[in-house]
Amino acid sequence: MTASAPAGAAVDHAIVVSDLTRRFGEFTAVDRVSFEVEQGEIFGYLGANGAGKSTTIRMLIGLLAPSGGKATVAGHDVATAPNRVKESIGYMSQKFSLYLDLPVEENLLFFGAAYGLEGKALRLRSAELLERVGLDAQHEATTGDLPGGQRQRLALACALLHRPGIVFLDEPTAGVDPVARRAFWELIRELARGGTTVFVTTHYLDEAEYCRRIGLMVDGKLVALDTPAGLKRTWVPDRVLVARGRGLAAAGSRLQGAAGVRAVAPFGAGLHLRVDPARLDGAAVAQALREAGAEAVEVEEASPSLEDVFLAVVDRSAERRP
Amino acid sequence: MTGSRLLRSLLRIGAMAGKEAIHVRRDPRTLGLALVMPVVMLFLFGYGVSSDLDHIPLVFADQDQSEASRALARAFDGSGEFTVVGRPAPEGVEALFRGGVAVAALVVPRGYQRDLLLGKRAEVQLMLDGADPVVGNQVLAKADAIARVESQRLAGAAFARLQPPLQVKVWTRYNPEGRSALYMVPGLSAFLLAITAVMLTALAIAGEWERGSMEQLFASPVGRLEIVLGKLLPYLVLGLLELLLVVAFGALVFDVPIRGSLPLIMLFGLVFMAGMLGQGLFISVVAKNQLVATQAGALSAMLPAIILSGMIFPIENMPLPLRTISRLIPSRYLVHGLRGILLKGNGLDVLWPDLLAMALFAVAILGLATARFKRRVA
Repeated sequence: MTASAPAGAAVDHAIVVSDLTRRFGEFTAVDRVSFEVEQGEIFGYLGANGAGKSTTIRMLIGLLAPSGGKATVAGHDVATAPNRVKESIGYMSQKFSLYLDLPVEENLLFFGAAYGLEGKALRLRSAELLERVGLDAQHEATTGDLPGGQRQRLALACALLHRPGIVFLDEPTAGVDPVARRAFWELIRELARGGTTVFVTTHYLDEAEYCRRIGLMVDGKLVALDTPAGLKRTWVPDRVLVARGRGLAAAGSRLQGAAGVRAVAPFGAGLHLRVDPARLDGAAVAQALREAGAEAVEVEEASPSLEDVFLAVVDRSAERRP
Repeated sequence: MTGSRLLRSLLRIGAMAGKEAIHVRRDPRTLGLALVMPVVMLFLFGYGVSSDLDHIPLVFADQDQSEASRALARAFDGSGEFTVVGRPAPEGVEALFRGGVAVAALVVPRGYQRDLLLGKRAEVQLMLDGADPVVGNQVLAKADAIARVESQRLAGAAFARLQPPLQVKVWTRYNPEGRSALYMVPGLSAFLLAITAVMLTALAIAGEWERGSMEQLFASPVGRLEIVLGKLLPYLVLGLLELLLVVAFGALVFDVPIRGSLPLIMLFGLVFMAGMLGQGLFISVVAKNQLVATQAGALSAMLPAIILSGMIFPIENMPLPLRTISRLIPSRYLVHGLRGILLKGNGLDVLWPDLLAMALFAVAILGLATARFKRRVA
């Protein structure tokens, strides 16, 4: 490894990771991963179970020593100064590890004290956070009695007590209903607007749309890193069209193999087409379908989802594997 | 700089301990286990299980039919410990035993009074039902005590010029009436402290793993040692409270004397607890879940404390392998130490080997547990 980077570099980026590697015996869980996370950014980290997301997070929060490479979080090297890292970040683990037998407020007071807050400042701060996550009315309730969504907001509050510049959220919304998930993401976005950097893993692809940038992990490697729109452009370059009307099945099969048409597939009562965006657009396809015998044709452009991206990435990686 | 770091560390340990105390306070089972169990156990062992016998049915087979033999019968009957339920001929004793009418028989041979008057060794036979060794031991102890009193009386009455040749057994010296509470209280203290420390800490720490909050703690600036100290502290306090409770109850209800110093009792309790907390920590680090931790905790804490500590079965009577194993059991040293302090008023000058043995165990197991604890997460 070369001499340390100029001091300014760490200030611009909340997290700087280069060639970070973690091996467990023969198995390489994280394989030479490099990326940077900007200050105040919501950075999504996606991947299937076992792809290395949690191992990466555990290294970044100072819980697990890297086998190779380097990672700097809030300006501190995770390998040499894990305690400095721990003091400057907030972490919400996969299971909401709150003390369920304790009252809501005691959980906050305990975690606050664990981070060195005390006395009146701690009380004020915990009251402030209770209000912010909408639990001020429940502060005396036993934590175990709260529904999942509220527990998860409490866990977030516990991670924010000491005003960390960076928070790591490991699958924060697993097992929470959609309404609660939406409310939770509203909190996260508000946090980022306030300048806090958010590093979040999830396997809900709809949630990943909220992230400014997304890193995709497959088998321990970071195979894609971009904004959601950028990922879609790169990985799903085709134009996706949905056609409705009568006599589509026959017309569709006639279009198969035509210039600029990459794939045609039945989609419910309609037709799903992937075309070369440089050669065909919605109107041209509608025209072609009418000429092929379909009637009352309507064609709409569908935007590719992150799910399409994810599948394309996984497919590509599978092809490359020997 | 170092001062403020130490202060911050102490604050974090305090936060851990405070949180743990809330857990304990909010969990009636833990509190019950810790504070009600000692009292219940003490009553069970002090009254029920102990079988402090009185009015033991005794048959008196008098072949001498003399003034002296009748005096001996009065001494037994009048003590309250024995009740003479029959005066058969020596051949009839066996039948009364087998029928369960008597658990003890005193046979006075012909020539008892004559021997006494001649200043010779006078012998009587005590037969007892050894089916229940606990009962048997008590009968023996009580008969021995009465015989001793009687022989002193005889000596004083100048029946004989010589002291009647009676062997005084050492183990009855500090418990002449054979009251079981006297030896149960020290034994019970060891048992209860072992349970509290091993089981509760094993449970508490295994629970932290199971819940996933251990990882959350590791991700915070709270250090490993701070976690361990903070978690163990409340149980240390709880254990010492238990010890006080048992000693106080023993003194108030069962008249167990406190001849030695109370601070020394607490010191013994503290060092013993340190070892037991280490054992609990070790189990929880290895076991990972509460169920396994409970089982392992119960086995490793309760069994040695009951069986190998000398609480119930005298270590001197054990076969050599068991006696050797018992040297590795800290409860053995606590029982011995507490008996010494409470009943004999011994001080550190006599009991330091016990304290040293417990301290060695504590250092070894705490070191081992902390080492395993560190490796667990790396």
